[in-house]
Amino acid sequence: MAASEAWTRWRYRWIPDKLVGEILSKSWIDTLIPGVILAAVLAFFSLKLPGFLSGSNLGDIAQIYGEYLIIIVGITFVMMAGGIDLTVGSTFAFCNLAALLLINSMEMNLALGIPLIMLIGGAIGLINGLLIGYLGMRAFLTTLVMLIIVRAVVDQGLLDYGQTISRGFNASTAWEFMGVGTVFGVPSSLVVAAAIALVGHVVLTRMRFGWHVMAVGGSRRSAYNAGIRVKRTVCLTYMISGLMTGLAATFYAARLTSAGTDVGKGLEVTMLTAAVLGGISLGGGRGSVIKAMLGAVIVLLVQNSLIRMGLTSGTSSLVLGLILLAAVAIDVRWVKNRHKILARAYVSPTYFRLPPLPETAAGSGSPYALNDRLRGVAAIGLGELDGPEDVIFDRDDNLYCGSRHGDIIRFFAPDHRRSEIFAHIGGHPLGLAFDPQGNLLTCVGGMGLYRVSPSGEVTKLSDETNRSLLSIVDDSRLRLADDLDIAPDGRVFFSEATIRYEMYDWMVDALEGRGNGRIICYDPRTGQSRTVLPNLQLPNGICVEPGGQSLLFAETWGCRITRWHFDGPHKGRREVVIDNLPGYPDNINRASDGTFWCALCGMRSPVFDLALRMPDFRRRMVQKVGRDDWLYPNMNTGCVIKFDAAGTILDVLWDLGGEAHPMITSIREHKGHLYLGGIYNNRVGRYHIPGADPAWTSNASYWGDRS
Amino acid sequence: MIGPLKRLWDGFRGSGDAAVTVPPMDGALRPNQLLETARLVAAVPSPDDLASDGRSLFVSSGPRILRLVDGVGTVTAEFGAEITALAASPRGRMAAAVASDHLVVTEPDGASTTIARLGDGPTRCITALTFAGEGALLIAQGSSQRAAAGWKRDLMERRSDGAVWRLDLATRQAERLAGGLGWPLGLALDAAGGILVAESWRHRIVALAPGRAPRPVLADLPGYPARLHPDPAGGFWLALFAPRNQLIEFVQREPAFLARMFAEVDEAFWAAPSLRPSATFLEPLQGGAQKHLGMLKPWAPTRSYGLIVRLDDALRPVASYHSRADGMRHGVFTCLPFGGRILAAAKGGDAVVEIDPAADPANGPAAATGAQP
Repeated sequence: MAASEAWTRWRYRWIPDKLVGEILSKSWIDTLIPGVILAAVLAFFSLKLPGFLSGSNLGDIAQIYGEYLIIIVGITFVMMAGGIDLTVGSTFAFCNLAALLLINSMEMNLALGIPLIMLIGGAIGLINGLLIGYLGMRAFLTTLVMLIIVRAVVDQGLLDYGQTISRGFNASTAWEFMGVGTVFGVPSSLVVAAAIALVGHVVLTRMRFGWHVMAVGGSRRSAYNAGIRVKRTVCLTYMISGLMTGLAATFYAARLTSAGTDVGKGLEVTMLTAAVLGGISLGGGRGSVIKAMLGAVIVLLVQNSLIRMGLTSGTSSLVLGLILLAAVAIDVRWVKNRHKILARAYVSPTYFRLPPLPETAAGSGSPYALNDRLRGVAAIGLGELDGPEDVIFDRDDNLYCGSRHGDIIRFFAPDHRRSEIFAHIGGHPLGLAFDPQGNLLTCVGGMGLYRVSPSGEVTKLSDETNRSLLSIVDDSRLRLADDLDIAPDGRVFFSEATIRYEMYDWMVDALEGRGNGRIICYDPRTGQSRTVLPNLQLPNGICVEPGGQSLLFAETWGCRITRWHFDGPHKGRREVVIDNLPGYPDNINRASDGTFWCALCGMRSPVFDLALRMPDFRRRMVQKVGRDDWLYPNMNTGCVIKFDAAGTILDVLWDLGGEAHPMITSIREHKGHLYLGGIYNNRVGRYHIPGADPAWTSNASYWGDRS
Repeated sequence: MIGPLKRLWDGFRGSGDAAVTVPPMDGALRPNQLLETARLVAAVPSPDDLASDGRSLFVSSGPRILRLVDGVGTVTAEFGAEITALAASPRGRMAAAVASDHLVVTEPDGASTTIARLGDGPTRCITALTFAGEGALLIAQGSSQRAAAGWKRDLMERRSDGAVWRLDLATRQAERLAGGLGWPLGLALDAAGGILVAESWRHRIVALAPGRAPRPVLADLPGYPARLHPDPAGGFWLALFAPRNQLIEFVQREPAFLARMFAEVDEAFWAAPSLRPSATFLEPLQGGAQKHLGMLKPWAPTRSYGLIVRLDDALRPVASYHSRADGMRHGVFTCLPFGGRILAAAKGGDAVVEIDPAADPANGPAAATGAQP
C-alpha cells in the first residue's frame, strides 16, 4: 500500500496531466489538425517525390499559392459569417477574361485596370450578397446558380472576344512584373497575398467588422439581438470575396495570359476543400486566416504533387474530393465533440494527503468538540440577501456585504434593518476591506480588485498580474480574486483562489488537490499587481497581523493556516501556524483580544480525504459520473474557530445541522458581536460574543481611532 | 474470449456492466411528498418488518416485537439480538428471524421452536419470511456468508450469495429453491402460488420456478427493493429502502478505492447507501446536495430516500409514494396492507405511517384536500 502510494505521489508530481486539458481549452487547438495534416503531406511527398522540396518546385508552387491565398482570404470572410461562396470559379474566369481584354489587349493603365477588375469581381459578389444577405436566399443554391450564369457569360465572352484577346500584348514592365516578377525571390503575387492575409487577419481578429463577421457566423440570432446589422455584414463578406477573386484573377492573367475555357474550373471545390481542411467550420464562426492559409498550402501541395506523379486529372480531382469529404467529416465531428473531450480532460486531479482527521465528537475533549453555540443567532437581511460572502462595517457602524447579483448592499446602523444598494459592480463581491480614507476595497469574483468610494463610486484597481513564464492558461487575468487585506503602507494583499476555474466552478478545484491559487500584491504607488506567493491550495482568507509586517493566509483545500512575512527582519519567511484543521478554512479576521477568528466553510469527511489520495479514482469519477453526483468536500456544515498567533485553538462555535448557517465563509467582529456571512446563504448572522470588548471595531484596530 | 473483450469494451464505453447510469424516477415513479406527509401511526425506533395475522399488527424494532393497537405498541416478545425478519400466519403462528443465527416459530398457544440450521449451514442472515399456507415457511437468506448487519459491505461488493428456502414446519426439512441471488430482501406469493423474490442488489424482482433460472419480472428499479407484500385487492406493495446513485454505482466498480474505504473509513461514513438522511459532516457529500440559501433541494443527489411502489398483478408500477432528499422518512423496508389500511415502516425515519392510496400526488393526501374522485 505504502509503496503504491509513494508511486502515485511521484507520478502525479512529475507528470503534468493538467496540460492536456489546458491545451485543449485553447482556441488555437483547432489549428493543430491542419498542422498535423500538413506535416503528414510534406513527409509523404518528400519521400515519394525526389526534388519535392527543391527550390524550383517550391518557386512554381509559391506563384500559384499567392493567387490561391488572395482568394481564400475572401472565402474565409464568407465562411466565417456562416456562408459559402461557390461562384469563385466563374468569377475568377470572368475577371481573367476582363483583365486580358482591358489590360492586355486594350493596354489600360494598371492603376486604373486592377481596381476596375476587382470591382467587376466585387459586383458579382454584391449580387450574391444582395440575394443572400438581404433577400435571405440560400447561400449554397444562390452561389451555385451564379456560378453557372457567370460561366455562361464567360463562354459567350470567349466566343466574342477570343480573337481580340489572343492578339493582344501589353509590354509594360509593371504588367510583366505582376506575372513573373519577384521580390527577394518571392513571387509578386505572394507578396501581395501576404499583405492581404495580414490585413485580413487583423480585421478579423482585432477590428469591429471582423468581430461582427464572427458574431454573425457564431450565432446569427444573438448577433441580431446584439444590434449587429446582420444583412449588411453578410452582404459585405460576399463583396470582399468577389473583390479578392478579381485581384487574384488579374495576377493569373498577367502570369499566363491565357483565356482557355477551363480557367477557374473546379476552383470553388479546391477553395472549399482548402478552407474546410484548414479548420474553417462550415457552420460559421470558427476559423482564422491562418487556418485558411494552412488549408491552401495542403491542397496546393497535394494537387501539384499528384500532377507530378503523373496521375490523370480525373484521378487528381477524385483525390481532392475524397480529401474534402474527410475534412468535412473531421470538421463536423471535431466541432461536435471538442467540448466533450475538454469536459472530460480539463479536471486533472493530483495526489494530496492530509494529516489524520482531528476528532470533533462532542465531549471528546478535542478543541474542536461539537457544540450548539451558533444555534438561534439573529439574522440580518434574511431572505433579502443572496450570497453575502463577506461582511464589514464602516466607522458609522453601517454594515456592508456583497451579493450574487453584483451589488454591495449597505444595512444602516443601528439595527441593520433598512438597506440600500450601495454600489453596483457587476460581479459577485467576495472579500471586503476598508482603507484609512474610508474607501471600501473588494475582491470581485471574475473581475478583480475594485475600490468603492464613500459616495459609491466604483473604480477598478487591478484585473491582471504578471504572466508566469510556463503557464499555459493565461494566468495574467484575475479569474477569482477572493479575499484581501491592506498593509499599513497601503499595499493590498489579495488571494486568487484558483487560476483554473471560474467563479461558479470553484468547488471543482477541490477535486484537483493541486496548488492552483496564489496571493497577489497590488501596490497603489505604481498601480501594478504582482504575484507574490504562487501555487497555493485555494488561498482564501487573508489577515494582516497587528505588527504590520506579516499576514496570515488560509489555504482552503490544504486545511492549513500559514504566516508570511512581507516586511521586517523575517521578510519572505513562511511558517505554518495551523497545519491540520478538521475543515476547510475561509476568511480570517482580527478578534478584539488580539487573536484571530477563522470561518471553516466546510468540514472534511473521511471518504473525501481518502479520495484525495487516489487521483485516478477522482479522474475516473469526473469522466464517468454526472457533475451533480461528484463527491465533494462536505460544505453543508461550517463552524468558526478562534486561534492565537501561535496557532492554539482557543474556541470553536458550531451550528450543528447547518440550519441557519450551513456554510460560513466569513466572520467579522464588531462591538461585541460576531457577524457571519456565507457565499450560498440568504442572511448575515449576528452572534453575541460573551465577554468581548463592546467598543472594539476592526476599523480602529487597523487605522486607529477617528481623530 | 468474448467475455474479457466485452468487459474491456464496456469499460471504455461505460456500457453494460460498467454503466453507472441509474434509471430516472419517472412515469408511475414520479416523485411526490406522499410518504413524507403520510399520517404517523406510531413513533417506533427503527421499525424493520411488519406482519399481520389478520387481527393484529406486529412490528419488529431492534430485538423486540411490538403489537400495534391504535398507535400504541406493546412488547409481545424480546430476543437477544436484532430481529431481521417477521411473518405471521392467519392462524396466529408467528416466525421471527434473529440476527444471532436462528429462527423462532411461535405457536398461538405460546409454544415455540427454534431452527438453527438451514440446509447444511447456520440459519444466518434471514432477510424476509412468509408463510406458504400453515405448514411451510418461505425464507429469504440475504447471504450465506455474511450476517444481516454486514449488508452495506455486501451491497458495495455486489455479491450474490443469497438464497431462498422452503422450510417444512412439520418435518423441519429445508429445501433450497434458488441460490446465487443478490441479497433477496422480499418474498411474496402471487395469485397462482408462484414465488416472487425482490433481488435487492440487482434492483429487480424475479419469479422462481422449479428447475429454471430465476426470471426477472420487474427490472431496472431506481432503488434497492426490500419487502414485497400482496394486496388483498390485487397487486403488490413494494418498499425500496435506498435509492440508486451514480456515485455509489461508480464506487462499486472501483475495487482499489473500495478496499481502502473498507479498511480505513468507519462504516457509517462510507460512500454507500444509507437508511437515514445525513446527520453528520463526516458523511460524504455530492455536489448537487450543496445547500443553497439555507435549503437542501428535494431533487439533490442522495444516499437515502423513502420510496413505496404500488404494483399491479403483472408487477407493473402504477403508483408511488416518496420521501425525498430533504425528507425524513427514509429507509422504508416494509409496506403491508392491514385491514383495509396500508402501513409502512420507515426504519430510517423511526416511524410507522399510513399511506393513503387515494391521495393525489399533486395535492397531497386526499383527506386533506377533500378531492375524492
